[in-house]
Amino acid sequence: MTTGAAFLRIEELVRATHRRPGAGYLALVLLSAAAAAFGGWCWALMIRDGMWRTGLNRPVNWGTFITNFVFWVGIAHSGTLISAILLLFRARFRTAVYRVAEAMTVIAVTTAGLFPVIHLGRPWLAYWLFPYPNQRGLWINFRSPLIWDVFAVSTYLIVSTIFLLVGIAPDAAALRVRAGGWRRRFYGFFSFGWRGTGEQWRHYTRAYLFFAAFATPLVVSVHSVVSWDFAVSIVPGWHSTLFPPYFVAGAILSGLAMVLTLLVPMRRLLHLEPLVTPRHLDMLSRLLLLTALVVAYFYAVEYALSLLRGPLPERSTFLDRATGRYAPLFWMMLAANFAGPLLLFSARVRRSPKALFFIALGVNVGMWFERFIIIAGSLSHDRLPFLWRGYAPSWVELGITLGAFGWFFFWFLLFVKLLPSVSIAEMKVQAVEEAPRDA
Amino acid sequence: MGERNETGFSFGRRVVLKLLAAAGALAGCSPRPDVEKLVPYLVPPEHAVPGEPLEYRTLCRECAAGCGVTAATQAGRAVKLEGNPDDPIGRGALCARGQAAVQALYDPERASAPLRRAPDGRLAPITWDEAVGQLAAALAAAKAKGRGRIRLLTRPEPGSAGVVQRAFLHALGAGAEHRVVFDPLDPAPLRAASKALFGRPEIPAHDLGAARAVVSFGAELLETWISPVELTRGFAQGRGQVGPERPRFTWIGPRLSLTGASADRWLSVRPGGELAVALGLLRFITDPSRRAPGLAPEAPSLFRLVKALSPAELAARAGTSSARIAALGVELVRKRPSALLGPGLSSQGTDATALAAVILLLNHVLGNVGRTLLYGLDPLDDPPSSPSAPAALVEEMAAGRVDVLLVHHADLLGWLPPALGADRALTRVPLVASFADRPDATRARAHLVLPDHHPLESFGDVAPRRGVVLFGQPVMTPLGDTRAASQVLIDVAARPPLGTPLPFDGFGALVRERAERLVRAHGAGAPVVDSVREAFQRGVVTWEVKPAVVSLRVGAAEPFLAPPPSPPGAALELVVFPTPLRAGAAADRPGWLREVPDALTTLSWIGWAELSPATAARLGVATGDRLALATAAGGAELPAYVYPGILDGVVAVPLGGRDPLALLGGARDPRSGALAWRAVLASAARAGPGAPLPRLEGSAYTEGRRITRTVTPAEPALPRPSGEEAMYGPPEHPKHRWSMAIDLDRCTGCQACVVACFAENNVPVMGPQAAAEGRYMGWIRVERYFGSEPGELDVELMLMLCQHCANAPCEPVCPVYATYHTAEGLNAQVYNRCVGTRYCSNNCPYKVRTFNWRDPEFAPPLHMQLNPDVAVRSKGVMEKCTFCVQRIRRAEHRARREGRALADGDIVPACAQACPARAIVFGDAKDPASRVSALRRDPRGFAALDELNTQPAITYLARVRSGR
Repeated sequence: MTTGAAFLRIEELVRATHRRPGAGYLALVLLSAAAAAFGGWCWALMIRDGMWRTGLNRPVNWGTFITNFVFWVGIAHSGTLISAILLLFRARFRTAVYRVAEAMTVIAVTTAGLFPVIHLGRPWLAYWLFPYPNQRGLWINFRSPLIWDVFAVSTYLIVSTIFLLVGIAPDAAALRVRAGGWRRRFYGFFSFGWRGTGEQWRHYTRAYLFFAAFATPLVVSVHSVVSWDFAVSIVPGWHSTLFPPYFVAGAILSGLAMVLTLLVPMRRLLHLEPLVTPRHLDMLSRLLLLTALVVAYFYAVEYALSLLRGPLPERSTFLDRATGRYAPLFWMMLAANFAGPLLLFSARVRRSPKALFFIALGVNVGMWFERFIIIAGSLSHDRLPFLWRGYAPSWVELGITLGAFGWFFFWFLLFVKLLPSVSIAEMKVQAVEEAPRDA
Repeated sequence: MGERNETGFSFGRRVVLKLLAAAGALAGCSPRPDVEKLVPYLVPPEHAVPGEPLEYRTLCRECAAGCGVTAATQAGRAVKLEGNPDDPIGRGALCARGQAAVQALYDPERASAPLRRAPDGRLAPITWDEAVGQLAAALAAAKAKGRGRIRLLTRPEPGSAGVVQRAFLHALGAGAEHRVVFDPLDPAPLRAASKALFGRPEIPAHDLGAARAVVSFGAELLETWISPVELTRGFAQGRGQVGPERPRFTWIGPRLSLTGASADRWLSVRPGGELAVALGLLRFITDPSRRAPGLAPEAPSLFRLVKALSPAELAARAGTSSARIAALGVELVRKRPSALLGPGLSSQGTDATALAAVILLLNHVLGNVGRTLLYGLDPLDDPPSSPSAPAALVEEMAAGRVDVLLVHHADLLGWLPPALGADRALTRVPLVASFADRPDATRARAHLVLPDHHPLESFGDVAPRRGVVLFGQPVMTPLGDTRAASQVLIDVAARPPLGTPLPFDGFGALVRERAERLVRAHGAGAPVVDSVREAFQRGVVTWEVKPAVVSLRVGAAEPFLAPPPSPPGAALELVVFPTPLRAGAAADRPGWLREVPDALTTLSWIGWAELSPATAARLGVATGDRLALATAAGGAELPAYVYPGILDGVVAVPLGGRDPLALLGGARDPRSGALAWRAVLASAARAGPGAPLPRLEGSAYTEGRRITRTVTPAEPALPRPSGEEAMYGPPEHPKHRWSMAIDLDRCTGCQACVVACFAENNVPVMGPQAAAEGRYMGWIRVERYFGSEPGELDVELMLMLCQHCANAPCEPVCPVYATYHTAEGLNAQVYNRCVGTRYCSNNCPYKVRTFNWRDPEFAPPLHMQLNPDVAVRSKGVMEKCTFCVQRIRRAEHRARREGRALADGDIVPACAQACPARAIVFGDAKDPASRVSALRRDPRGFAALDELNTQPAITYLARVRSGR
């Protein structure tokens, strides 16, 4: 195959994903839009009636919403990991998958960012969390980890959005050449005046590398900051110096799992098998396995430290996790996050997209449980036994959770239909680099 | 229509006139001008300063104890009740029920006009003129039919109201026997025993402050018994001491009550075993071989009467060991004077008078009568009729011998066991007139409702004790079209066709006359009061009365000293007990009393059935399951609560509502006629799972954590933590650091502080669902721990409220500075600034912050009770104890106005003010001379969860355990 033909083939494959949508696709879009709308309605109920609509109580003041927040921030992480860190490490297999991961990051951060607002008692005052000059002389408390969150998440959103848009520019330009009508204008917008000159390529590669270098520490910092929401408090089960690396590892694990969960069906439905090959899946699942082992190590350290050396409330909280109210969730979490990924030691499993899909889905669920257990489980078993009390989400909370998935998939589906979900430019570069070996 | 001009619109003269006429006519059609005055006074009353509470002294009619109260009014509305410091009964304290009386005033269910039952069975409003006319006509007709057709059922009215009632009945040709004075909680057996032994049908007064040992035979002296505020104060006087001078308190009964939780020792006996213990003690103490010194001279003759009783047999009948009885006997011989009290509601069985008599004999033998037990102080002004009188009345009603029944604050249906048939009997009375202002079971059946004023809207007087007369006065304009019941009686008597005017100008005048008589009285033991005005301003007139010297009639003792009956075998037994919050009939309990959880079970809103872990296991019942109970008289289904502080084989049900009464067959103590609050259960079985309980507690155990502490005589001091370095330096408190000391050895868990906090701080009542969901809003709570681990029973009570930490975990986590540390050491919460992240509550180790899960509701006219000095919080914000910052500010302003420095004791938060045990002390820790500073240095002092180094402003003083 000549490079020219290879280029054409890559472009065709990507353009094929943008064909007139079928009934299935439209049904999915409608379904996710309906779910998002339902979540919005649930939120409206909560705004009207108060947090009464949730299952929250004293002592469990945080529950499903904060779990969702951490979950979506976690999902957002592997986008940057795959795209930026692997770029810096020159890992080739990232090329085929990183655009999906980046898009996932931006949409997931947007989703995550909703929850701190939703969970407020008075969400209409959420802007008070920003340091803006005002005549009332109000200011924010920089000692509060929630303020650090505001900065961390908004920074992450801005950087990952820019990163995504910069990467899209040459691809959008390539697609614009053969597009007509509104698509032409649409790709024109996203190509930001891209002409493909040598100068532009030079700027592009440097800018892209620069943003990759800029985003990499964010992967570590954002989820460290999120973990400080817990680690800075004095709640047994939260108050631990282990939390920042533990949360970062957990975030990467859940993010990788989400990438696999999305990529496996997408590659099939959008006929991207030639671009996203089993080798790519294999590499991703090795990464997943590695992260799962790291997370398992953190589990072991966390439990061992608190059970062997921790003060009494700490020990009591961890015993409660394994034997108490949320014990079924705890053991399911261990099975999903640790036992499941162990299967990936087998090459056969790694090469089976179906098996990968289910293991990844399991990790997604397990990671959600993990956050839930840390948040609601620790609060339900705090220092004062007189006020130990369980928590279960109300249907409104579940509705908003469902709505968040709807919201996420709605934008994701629009993305794959409208923008290149595989990087054309980088695939072409790869094709050129691999050409001599093919010949 | 008029002509059109260029603009197209025109109003001719006629059109304008037509429109004006139409508008005027329509305005006239409006049923009531909808005008509310923003400023209620054109010419303000002399002393009313807006924003400054105007206080009146008046009285509390919630129970028979008769405490004086101070009612704070703002803008013409009563907002808070506190004790009257001049009243020797309450001395400024007020129990939970007294605190809640102000909420009853604003009860949305209160009748605002007289009601008559229409032919369709509904109560419809009528005018007072019609009501008085109808009652007068009915009374005249009944009077004409002969004597005894008219009956008056009333609560005790030891004052002018009683005078009016008696004169009213006299004018109608009815006698004293036609007036039934009904107090369901009256300790009638004690009256009967006093009469038999000492010739005085009195309830003795108690001076527990003088007692070195207190033994309660089921008398709930810290909850509801006789005069709980006064008894709690006396009891608490001796507490807080660690050495041998500390009075020892023993609780005897099948169930560890809240009163028992304050005891040093629980002598558990089977239901009815109290009498056997008392007899065993009497035999032990009077035994001449023991040579107990200083016994009453009648001791040998009493010993002869009980000599035949075998100690082992008595102990077996009580379900305890003779060694334990002997140990108590040794203690009573050694520690004198002592006070033995009883019977209470839960020990009032069919032998209650015998129990009361043996207790009195013990007191007499030990020389307590005249020292801790005082006769001659019961004013006997309007003592309750025999407890069997209401049942007799029911029989007469059922026989159709009653034409008119007047019911004055005595809920016959709500308080008599249904087995007595009051329900059917009422249908045979042609006219039932109720003076109740709030719905109760009897009022629901009345033909005529003549709503009385609330005591806060009315004049009144009560003599709770000889030498004490309390005066009440209206503290505000009545909310509705109600009338003082006594005034209605005066009006009815004067009304044709009755036409027998009573010799009074009016009820208010009558009360004033009584005050005048007291003012005029001179000579030895004369009241200390100079004018009627002063009597009302003080709210109480007192004079010196010496207790009477009584002598024992040994001969009368003999019938009471028969051996007690044997236990009834293996059957489950039912015990009914009162709690401080559930001593009224269910229908008229104000919301606060329902919302505040019971101290021992932490349940609110509902009744329950307690049973021991072993009994629960045998029946296959767990806490929260529905338990179906049945006796020969009836049945009830209640949620079970597994309680380790109850004997196996006993089921205990709290007072309040129909359920306990339905289970009682109406068995009585034959000597006094008092109802036996006990029964043998025919069956008890699980009836299925129940709904989630409205329950506050999570774990009932401290789980090995250092939350409460105790000291013992061997180790009287607690170690002080070193106080580690914090990351940031300690906050500066340049002028004051407001602090509190809570003596857990004095705290009885009576919940007066909790209700006072609800009243003072506009804490909303959220309802049973919120309680079941963990959304109770109280700012201060009583935490009850059974011990450290399951299986233990060592009840500890712990008041938990915001600790106002110097190193507060809640403060740094708030992103918007809604909570911060003030320069005076308060942990402030700015409601307007709060966005509701709830992080502060997560990080609070004491879990004392409450979140507004929804907007609170104060159904009109309950909103009138809201304290204008405290903001009402809206949904989405966090709130918590403020140390009553509004009171701090008021005291500061007052001191500044008076040009002086704040003095220790100027500031009293609502909880500290209410406490009958004076367990809560508030003050400035920066002032080394303040009481709170001294208490903070007390060797018993500790901080809750001190391992966290939060440096709370609250110092707890450890409960003293004097060993088993």
